[in-house]
Amino acid sequence: MAPLLELVHVKKRFGQVTIAEDVSFAVEPGAAVGIVGPNGAGKTTLFGVVSGDVRPDAGDVLLDGRVVSRLDPAARCRLGIGRTYQVPRPFDKMTVFENVLLAAQQGARARGPESYAHALAALDSTGLAPDANRLAGSLGLLARKRLELARALATQPRLLLLDEVAGGLTDLEVGELVSVVREANERGVAVIWIEHVVRALLATVDRLLCLAGGEVIGDGDPREVLASPRVREVYLGTDAAVGESVT
Amino acid sequence: MSAPAGAELGSKGAAARGVTRGARSTTGLGALWVAVVALLAFMPYLVSQADTSILLNFFVLLTMATMWNLLAGYAGMVSIGQQAFVGLGAYGVLVLADAGFNPVAAIPVAAVMCAAISLPISLLVFRLRGGYFAIATWVVADAASLVISSNSSIGGGTGKTVPGMSSLGPRAFEEVTYWAALAVVVVAVGLAYALLRSRLGLVLAAVRDNEVGARSAGARVATARRIVYLVAALGCGAAGALLAVSQLNVQPASVFGVQWSAEMIFVTMIGGIGTIEGPVLGTIVFFLLQQNLAHDGAWYLIIFGSLAVAIAIWAPRGLWGTATSRLRVQLFPVGYHVGRPRRTRDVVPEPPAAPPAASTT
Ligand SMILES: Nc1ncnc2c1ncn2[C@@H]1O[C@H](COP(=O)(O)OP(=O)(O)O)[C@@H](O)[C@H]1O
Ligand SMILES: [Mg+2]
Repeated sequence: MAPLLELVHVKKRFGQVTIAEDVSFAVEPGAAVGIVGPNGAGKTTLFGVVSGDVRPDAGDVLLDGRVVSRLDPAARCRLGIGRTYQVPRPFDKMTVFENVLLAAQQGARARGPESYAHALAALDSTGLAPDANRLAGSLGLLARKRLELARALATQPRLLLLDEVAGGLTDLEVGELVSVVREANERGVAVIWIEHVVRALLATVDRLLCLAGGEVIGDGDPREVLASPRVREVYLGTDAAVGESVT
Repeated sequence: MSAPAGAELGSKGAAARGVTRGARSTTGLGALWVAVVALLAFMPYLVSQADTSILLNFFVLLTMATMWNLLAGYAGMVSIGQQAFVGLGAYGVLVLADAGFNPVAAIPVAAVMCAAISLPISLLVFRLRGGYFAIATWVVADAASLVISSNSSIGGGTGKTVPGMSSLGPRAFEEVTYWAALAVVVVAVGLAYALLRSRLGLVLAAVRDNEVGARSAGARVATARRIVYLVAALGCGAAGALLAVSQLNVQPASVFGVQWSAEMIFVTMIGGIGTIEGPVLGTIVFFLLQQNLAHDGAWYLIIFGSLAVAIAIWAPRGLWGTATSRLRVQLFPVGYHVGRPRRTRDVVPEPPAAPPAASTT
């Protein structure tokens, strides 16, 4: 069986800055993969390559073994790629419910009551239901991040791309977030999660990639990857955080 | 389109929440609109022939403004070339009437022809954005006018009379054209409303707020824009077809005139862009000014232009938008409202003056 997602020799530069030199990896259906790496390593850009927002200079993206490199973000979403943005992109003048309903109607191609049910379920699982009728523009940053997640879930993805959704959350909130993501993963949704909050990743993923200098410098069991000398090197100065989370 | 139907549905857990359309209870709005249209339908029996023909022109401009509002106010496409479809709609009626068609029956046919022609045109003008798109639409309108003017079989540059209406007496002619115009404007506003309440309407709102976010949530932006462009061509084509039928004469300089775009833009901006009510209010203001000031020459245009500029600067949401920002009135509710699972509470997102009291049981 073909992997759900495959990146083949992806290369991307912004001017002189190399974001990805020759990145290849595959993600199986239902997998839970974490991505770590220093700021500016190109993690977000890599999500853009997968979701279709960013066109790579070379290489291909495959979904279910089929090349989707030429498809636009909407088409890829409809094929099952749901993503969140590190910097939230809410529809400010629409209500929270309408934000999520759009995702259900377009991404999941649901209509009428079915689309309402998808939207309400996404609001329930992210704890946004009480804010359903508020304008998204009136939400605080944390609620906006939840809305990103709710919108991605409402597209009924097979592959969920999470970009730093845990930043700024309290321990309790991280716990809630982890259980939402795990619940989706247990329903068979593959998850790729970029996160600096390593303990959230360790509670969720069974595979960790480390991205630095345009390369994948670590790939495998999360604790082993975090313990590897090369990864510790790029995380120099944040050893404390990594050490804490491994215990 | 009448009273909004709430869809009850059970979601997971015990809480069953109704999803309804519109932020406030809107029962009765459907009845209101039926009454308004019924009253308008009786107008030929209630007012003078001159007033009937003023109302007819009001319907024509409102149809155009509603279409321009869809384009610019909802789909972000500022066109200054919708007169292309006004003109083609008018000539559609002329050509069909020349071929023996009943001119009134030709109105919907001409409108559909305009929609069909708008598809290949969209392939051209959609390659451009913003100001370039606007100018391209104008160029297309001028090109269409030139092509028509150079065709002597349909009257060339001087135009031609629309045949086929002479069998009607003047009174019957007045009534028939009036009702045709009323039917067109009701369908146009109704279509705009249905479109904005549909899934497409939600896509347009999302694209307006954040295009990248909308795309990544599955919204097909180009398709949405193309549908709106097509509908706007249909509506403007119908408006042009009405001009041909009511004036019984079609001239390229008149039906392809850029003044149609100016008027659509004016009334939409004055009334309130991005609301269905805005163009209605703007067109009413336009006709009131025109009727009261027209005998002073072009003064009404100068006043109207100044008003449009003043509103663009100080009240960019237009008369309707400014008036309703406090009142929260919606004559055409398009939004969604999620009912509370247990007790109801006011959920209008007003920033509370004081922190909400802790659970007032
Ligand atoms: N559109 C762009 N144009 C130019 N440079 C960009 C663009 N997007 C990102 N970059 C740069 O690429 C690098 C990687 O960014 P990003 O993918 O956001 O990294 P990460 O998510 O790992 O922090 C950064 O140096 C950033 O400034
Ligand atoms: Mg990033």
